[in-house]
Amino acid sequence: MRNYSALHDTIRYLKKNKGAMLGLLLIVAFILMAIFAPHIAPHSPIEQSLKNNLKPGIWANNPTNILGTDEFGRDLLSRIIYGARISLSVGFIAVFIGMLLGGTAGIIAGFFGGKIDEIIMRIVDIMFSLPSILLAIVIVAILGRGLDKAMIAIGITYAPQIARIIRAETLVVKNTEYVEGAKAIGSSSIRTMLVHVLPNVMSPIIVYATLSTGSAILDAAALGFLGLGAQPPTAEWGAMLASSFHSITGGYWWVETFPGIAIALTVLGFNLFGDGLRDSLDPKLRI
Amino acid sequence: MKKILVFVLVGMFVTVAFAGCKTAEKALVTFVFAKGDAVRLDPADVTDGESITVMDNIFEGLVKYKPGSTEVEPNLATSWEPSSDGLEWTFYLRKDVTFHDGTPFNADAVVFSFERQRDENHPFHKYGEWDYWGWCFGEIAKTEKVDDYTVKITLDTPFAPFISTMAMFTVFVVSPTSANEWGGQWFTHPVGTGPFTFVEWVKGDHITLEKNPDYWGEKAKIDKLIFRVIDDPSARLLALTKGEVHGMEFPNPDDLENIKNNPDLQILSKPGLSVGYLAMNMGEDTPGYQEEFGDVRVRRAIAHAINKQDIIDYLYKGTAIVAKNPIPPTLWGYNDAIQDYEYNPEKARELLAEAGYPDGFKTNLWAMPVSRPYMFDPTKIATAIQADLAKVGIDAEIVSYDWGTYLDKTDNGEHAMCLLGWTGDYADPDNFLYVLLDPDSATVGSAGNVAFYRNPEVHRLNMEAVTTFDLAKRTELYKQVQVLVHEDVPWVTLAHATQILVFRSNVKGFVLYPTGDYHFDATYFEGEG
Repeated sequence: MRNYSALHDTIRYLKKNKGAMLGLLLIVAFILMAIFAPHIAPHSPIEQSLKNNLKPGIWANNPTNILGTDEFGRDLLSRIIYGARISLSVGFIAVFIGMLLGGTAGIIAGFFGGKIDEIIMRIVDIMFSLPSILLAIVIVAILGRGLDKAMIAIGITYAPQIARIIRAETLVVKNTEYVEGAKAIGSSSIRTMLVHVLPNVMSPIIVYATLSTGSAILDAAALGFLGLGAQPPTAEWGAMLASSFHSITGGYWWVETFPGIAIALTVLGFNLFGDGLRDSLDPKLRI
Repeated sequence: MKKILVFVLVGMFVTVAFAGCKTAEKALVTFVFAKGDAVRLDPADVTDGESITVMDNIFEGLVKYKPGSTEVEPNLATSWEPSSDGLEWTFYLRKDVTFHDGTPFNADAVVFSFERQRDENHPFHKYGEWDYWGWCFGEIAKTEKVDDYTVKITLDTPFAPFISTMAMFTVFVVSPTSANEWGGQWFTHPVGTGPFTFVEWVKGDHITLEKNPDYWGEKAKIDKLIFRVIDDPSARLLALTKGEVHGMEFPNPDDLENIKNNPDLQILSKPGLSVGYLAMNMGEDTPGYQEEFGDVRVRRAIAHAINKQDIIDYLYKGTAIVAKNPIPPTLWGYNDAIQDYEYNPEKARELLAEAGYPDGFKTNLWAMPVSRPYMFDPTKIATAIQADLAKVGIDAEIVSYDWGTYLDKTDNGEHAMCLLGWTGDYADPDNFLYVLLDPDSATVGSAGNVAFYRNPEVHRLNMEAVTTFDLAKRTELYKQVQVLVHEDVPWVTLAHATQILVFRSNVKGFVLYPTGDYHFDATYFEGEG
């Protein structure tokens, strides 16, 4: 009889989940697109040619610009391909920042308890009382516009949720026998947290991080749409929507539709995969 | 018994029904117009069209423009006469006018309205910046009451466009009672003599005015006038198509074709007295100054790098013409002999290399957040310019603030390059060449000249032109100013736009002014009153 490890187990369950596999496929496709953007994109994403502005794409026999051009005559397909770089990196980096901040706060709060817990969790509660996009806008207003600042802002807004999840898990783990044991043989608090607690609270974080990446991309697009994220001429999906939405009433539907579809597909990918991951990582949900 | 009851009931119903018909008064006519929000509602303390177009309906000046033109006719003054040397102007005022708050209109009100801007010791002076007074009325030495209905204005120097400037919003007459009551907050409680009275201003949402039932002239045809704040031209058009609003300003050029094909809508257009430009900050004493822009070769390079024709054709969609001078060709004094800097990135790169920037440089490019009559979508135009500049190696970051902040910061010179524009207040080149390009207007903090272009020769010519009354001679002087501006390139002049407003088809009576003013007193709905 073969002995399956937890990882094998997870992968086996994941493979069975068609939704999760579709999600993974979408994510991998977009990641590849982002990495190889300069090789795939037929044109430069920022080179404009006003003479060719708002040209329809392949459906109107325009083989040069498959998805048409935007209001500055830039190739829409190339912009979407390059936009994947921005959107994905924003998603990953923002969630990483959130995990770093929220994770640290959560594990400290859970592990030490008492006053420290009280203080950290009340701060978290205050942050929860603000809608996340509003909080992000406030932070961007303080830090200034720009993609880097948008990533930090989104990261900060994700921190409270992560802190709460990790704290709850830490509370459970810290009372287990192996943690008690580690303490008994004189392991320092930091060592106990990093070596014994952290690995055992990872699985809910991984699920949450995957799901959050999708919403972080969406938030970055929202900030871009409001003009607070990526600045022109950077090809960012949200900013693409914002700069072209005047054109939609004029009948130029493609400038709006394709970046929208790109956002939707990426977010869908992360959500499907995240859901699948949760199902397979949580033994309680397995039958 | 039952039958009687039925009769009684039927009788009651009938009576009620008919009574309803008899007493039903004509419904109030509300007109809703979609535009950007005002900044302040004190006529003397604003510089932006969004505020002015609201106040046109609340306030009046001593004289006014004939509807649709820049010809001056009597308004609150029934007549006026200049002294033989052109230095003393006597205005005879109407005697039957009261302000919306009941204060009688008289010489005291006129003196208050003028002196509060001019006299630094005036108790109201501290509540405003009074930018326009400095730009257009600096020649007024004092305003005095002769008797209750006669006012004498004394000038330091003869000023040729004087009577035209008297029709401007800056010298609208305000109620001294209400201004003194509110002090520094008066700009949210405007009280004038105009055909509409102010009701409320919910910032960012709407401004409501009501018909002035005691108006001395022809009363307004609509009962309520609401300016709804919708910043985005597409959203405005949607609201207009759905009938939520009855008129809107500055449609998106992309939508013009659809508007023309919609039988519910009508387009009103007129060549505007306007210019849209890119100003390059030359003021060494300003916080945003970059030394690159102190070099005329860099400024010329930028003029060569921008493809204006493409911007006009593909972004303005033909609703504007390329500008080569700071004044529009519809204005007298236009110098048609000037040869514009042609689009030539190669030459631009050479000029940059000559100036010592072969690899270009980093800078910023400010874009207004709102559509203006001279520039419908500044961010788009900024993006196009950014790409043009990138081709010659100049890396420009686009910067934007909300409208009020944008104006304040550009007045302070916090930009390196900024987009702005101007709609003429009166039909005289002085209004462009003095207000926007004279060293006098380049004071940090209240600059109309946001390029901080300070050429003493321009100043000399401008001064000579306003103290000369011979039109041919003035034309010659202004043509020379344009030559200097062309050589020094403080601006890249971009476009002279056509003013475009869209209304529901049943709206009649509205007239476009070359100055971009909106007067709604003659506006009505066809088929109603």
